[in-house]
Amino acid sequence: MGDRPMTTGASKISFGTDYGCCFVDLGKTRIMAQVSCELITPKENRPNEGLIFFNIELSPMASPAFEMGRQSELLVKLNRQLERCLRNSKCIDTESLCVVSGEKVWQIRVDVHLLNHDGNLMDAASIAAIAGLCHFRRPDVGIQGEEVTVYSTEERDPIPLSIYHMPICVSFSFFQQGTYLLVDPCEREERVMDGLLMIAMNKHREICSIQSSGGIMLLKDQVLRCSKIASVKVSEITELINKALENDKKARKTGGKFGFAESLPQERITALKTDVSHVEMSDVKEKANEIVQRAEVPPQTVPCPVLTAPGTGQVGEGLENSWGLEEEEEEEDETVELKMELEEGHEEKGKGDVVVISDSDSEEEDVVILNQVTTKEKASSSNQQGAVASKQQQKKKKKKKRGQ
Amino acid sequence: MAKYLMTLPTFRKQVSLSPSLSALDGKDLVVPGDVITSDTGFMRGHGTYMDEEKLTASVAGEVERVNKLVCVRPLRTRFNGEVGDVVVGRITEVQQKRWKVETNSRLDSVLLLSSVNLPGGELRRRSAEDELTMRDYLQEGDLISAEVQSVFSDGALSLHTRSLKYGKLGQGVLVQLSPSLIKRQKTHFHNLPCGASIILGNNGFVWLYPAPGQQDEEAGGYYTSLEPVSLSDREVISRLRNCLLALGAHKVLLYDTSVLYCYESSLPHQIKDILKPEVMEEIVMVTRQKLVEQEG
Repeated sequence: MGDRPMTTGASKISFGTDYGCCFVDLGKTRIMAQVSCELITPKENRPNEGLIFFNIELSPMASPAFEMGRQSELLVKLNRQLERCLRNSKCIDTESLCVVSGEKVWQIRVDVHLLNHDGNLMDAASIAAIAGLCHFRRPDVGIQGEEVTVYSTEERDPIPLSIYHMPICVSFSFFQQGTYLLVDPCEREERVMDGLLMIAMNKHREICSIQSSGGIMLLKDQVLRCSKIASVKVSEITELINKALENDKKARKTGGKFGFAESLPQERITALKTDVSHVEMSDVKEKANEIVQRAEVPPQTVPCPVLTAPGTGQVGEGLENSWGLEEEEEEEDETVELKMELEEGHEEKGKGDVVVISDSDSEEEDVVILNQVTTKEKASSSNQQGAVASKQQQKKKKKKKRGQ
Repeated sequence: MAKYLMTLPTFRKQVSLSPSLSALDGKDLVVPGDVITSDTGFMRGHGTYMDEEKLTASVAGEVERVNKLVCVRPLRTRFNGEVGDVVVGRITEVQQKRWKVETNSRLDSVLLLSSVNLPGGELRRRSAEDELTMRDYLQEGDLISAEVQSVFSDGALSLHTRSLKYGKLGQGVLVQLSPSLIKRQKTHFHNLPCGASIILGNNGFVWLYPAPGQQDEEAGGYYTSLEPVSLSDREVISRLRNCLLALGAHKVLLYDTSVLYCYESSLPHQIKDILKPEVMEEIVMVTRQKLVEQEG
């Protein structure tokens, strides 16, 4: 059986400024959970227990396929699953939420908002919900005889909820009748998968909920294998949640900045950023050898400027231009570079004794050297600006023969 | 491990930038956070927000001002449909009496059962039977070309295919680009002289297909011919597709002329070479030059 488990993209958990506000990024899927509490009358058949209420919301912000206000099948499924995973597993001690038996209990409400849909909503929702619940602090309550006082956060520190364990969902998607298995499918993969297996587990390797949808037939060892993978993943994610909680607690204690705005990376240059791409290196050696062999021997002479006359310099012996610039006429054309910072000289071939230098920088039309120079030379320009604009110069001005 | 061919830098032809690019001086480009104006007399429109009495941009784009209303039109955005736009979309859901179509906009567009031409071209009231056989007409995954009939209050588009030129698309290639690159023209259906036809959807989805033969297209476009397409046609379409990707990568406005020029300037290269970055650049440079010459 082919097994190609795929790891998630970068998973990130961050908390907001309020207690109980948690953001989870699983790759591109982004979810926010907010936990709040309220005092209400308990159920009649369970007067000692508090209540937990889950609510997942899918808004068009997450995906163009979601419509506002429509109770879609996916929404019902997610809600039901989250309730089963967190409420039926009894991960939260509901009896500790009781204030006055039969009269007042806390109702904890977990609102989960999907901000971006890139697949695997169940995993992200469960992580966000449980992290939010761990992060949440409810107001402290004092009972004196018949009187019940609820202290505000300023009066007394709020107390965390008592959570026994952290159940986390892990989803597996199957393709081609169970041949291929992917952990944590993204949206595209979810659209084409054959079936989905969802295992909710805690780090003590206790399965809290297991669900198979899509109607595929799974073998026993497939399910066992998935549960093993799930236990590994769950321990990793529990680590991540605990670390995030630690960091947040530390930041709040030391008075440092905490919250959503602080968790965003700042001052990061993203322009012109590309992903790391691999380079084909299998025949690099042969290619390099080929190039070296075909290349010409480098010139033995070291170029050094020769001062032919005061104010002029000559570099090079008139080699062919190797910049690859196009030469329209090849007879005895010279090129004049426009943007140059170094001293350039451009000498026409002189039959006679006199050389006429047309220097583009100089304001004179002709700069005439009275000494005899017979070499023809082309100056090369520096390519600092990267743009070499070359202009062909016609030999309009013939050298004047002037006797010296 | 993915293998990529690394290409060494080669000399590129220097082409002078067209003078029309300097016309951008008239446009005011802003990035998020840029202050547009400190004058409090302006009303703020889309893409702006008030930051301590200063009107600041919240998206990257150009500033548009209509009398007292200042808004920023983003350069890269999802498709915002207007009535009359031609779109190419993919069916994502089949619901009661309507289909949901993905058109690269913020919400999936809606194609009502009453807005399609039934096969056979009959004009009759839609019955319950029609509702049950919706999937026979259009299934999830089908591509259609349609026109925007109206816009719902939440921003979703209502499409219709009540014309012979719209309907289900048959064999061809879809290229997904940014909607900002498609030029608004009188007609978005073109039969290119190189031997293929193109539908430039306003939503950035471009459909390339082999030119229809002698016979007229069937009514409503629900008849999809499954005849094999000849190799030459397929090569033309592949080349066009790569050209479109090249133009899209260099943010060139797409319309029939630019696509055609790009096709012509890509002829000296092999089809698969067009995807190489330096070849792309070269082709797009030549295309831009030709477009400038044509204008001026």
